[in-house]
Amino acid sequence: MPRLETLSEVQRRTLEFFPCLENDTTPWVAPARDLAHSKVALVTTAGLHLRGDLPFARDAAGGESSYRVIPSDCHPAEVMQSHFSIGFDHTGLYRDLNVTFPMDRLRELAEQGVIGSLSANYYSFMGALRDPSRLMAETGPEVGRRLLAEGVEVALLTPT
Amino acid sequence: MLARILEEHKIATTALVMVREHAARVKPPRALFVPFYFGFALGKPDDPAYQHRVIKAALDLLDAESGPVLADFPEDGDPAIMPQASEVTAAPFQVSRNTADEITALRAFYERWVASHGGRTAVGLSGIPQRRFRGMIPFLESVARGQDADWPERPEEVSRPQFIRYCVDDLKAFYYEARMAQQPAADPDALHRWFWGSTAAGKLIADLAAQLNAAEDPTLRALAYGLAR
Repeated sequence: MPRLETLSEVQRRTLEFFPCLENDTTPWVAPARDLAHSKVALVTTAGLHLRGDLPFARDAAGGESSYRVIPSDCHPAEVMQSHFSIGFDHTGLYRDLNVTFPMDRLRELAEQGVIGSLSANYYSFMGALRDPSRLMAETGPEVGRRLLAEGVEVALLTPT
Repeated sequence: MLARILEEHKIATTALVMVREHAARVKPPRALFVPFYFGFALGKPDDPAYQHRVIKAALDLLDAESGPVLADFPEDGDPAIMPQASEVTAAPFQVSRNTADEITALRAFYERWVASHGGRTAVGLSGIPQRRFRGMIPFLESVARGQDADWPERPEEVSRPQFIRYCVDDLKAFYYEARMAQQPAADPDALHRWFWGSTAAGKLIADLAAQLNAAEDPTLRALAYGLAR
């Protein structure tokens, strides 16, 4: 993002007063293996989904805590965006999916041996949630369990 | 927040973050602040080398021995800020065509864009094929006039306000992708100023937003806020 001081007054104040949770501590897991031998997943909050899958929609709280599964071997033409936030520029993603969801770049890194392998599935949420309670209690842990079951050791998270 | 949840499930995470101040409060395990505008998390579209530098900087954080880690991507981002419709349409402008005719005129460019991008397009949320977009316009014009119009094939599970938003998002994507085929070098600012300042569709959407913004239904007012952006 441009630094806060460069934004419009409205956008700066919206971000300054956004109700994000504050934490004193941080969960920490050291990677089980070096990256060249790790299974890597992409997880995004860009509101992406497969064409034909249910788009994200705006609920009463202004967000949605569900997630979509995106197979890592799908074609970029199969991925689209329905993020409801008004505060981002769509033109980057119109041009190139990788500017938000770098599935081609990760594939290249796997082919080069920089990362060990790719998970079968990637996961997508819609970010900018004002009420993350369902994400924290239900859908986030569900994706955590799915990633673990798929043998994923490292996740790269991207916003939009 | 999501990174913390996954880390609690024994997945080592590294995250790109766009609001440094939020990351400092939430404290994800490993975060790379990227100085790009929203919508450009990896900096530059169609620039694989640059995107790889961003990814490498994020993956390098996995070498840290303890956290939280909040690092800065060392390269400067593009300071461009997305102009809003209201900034552009505030100036008087003349639109000589109607939206339906514009769609016909832009169709060849749109189809060229899709063909040159391996079939990829952001159009598709409404489920209305782009070849039928001319028919979508009278529907949106009716809504913009304050009439209680609906699309006969709207899926039952999609609310009318949500469907209007999907139609508008599809229309915008169609125009922008056509324009990018027409003017490949146009930067985001030029694209937004063209759309909001000199197309009939931009004016239609601005009118639509103004109409919905005056509605009593709060879901319509919330929808209006997001249309003309």
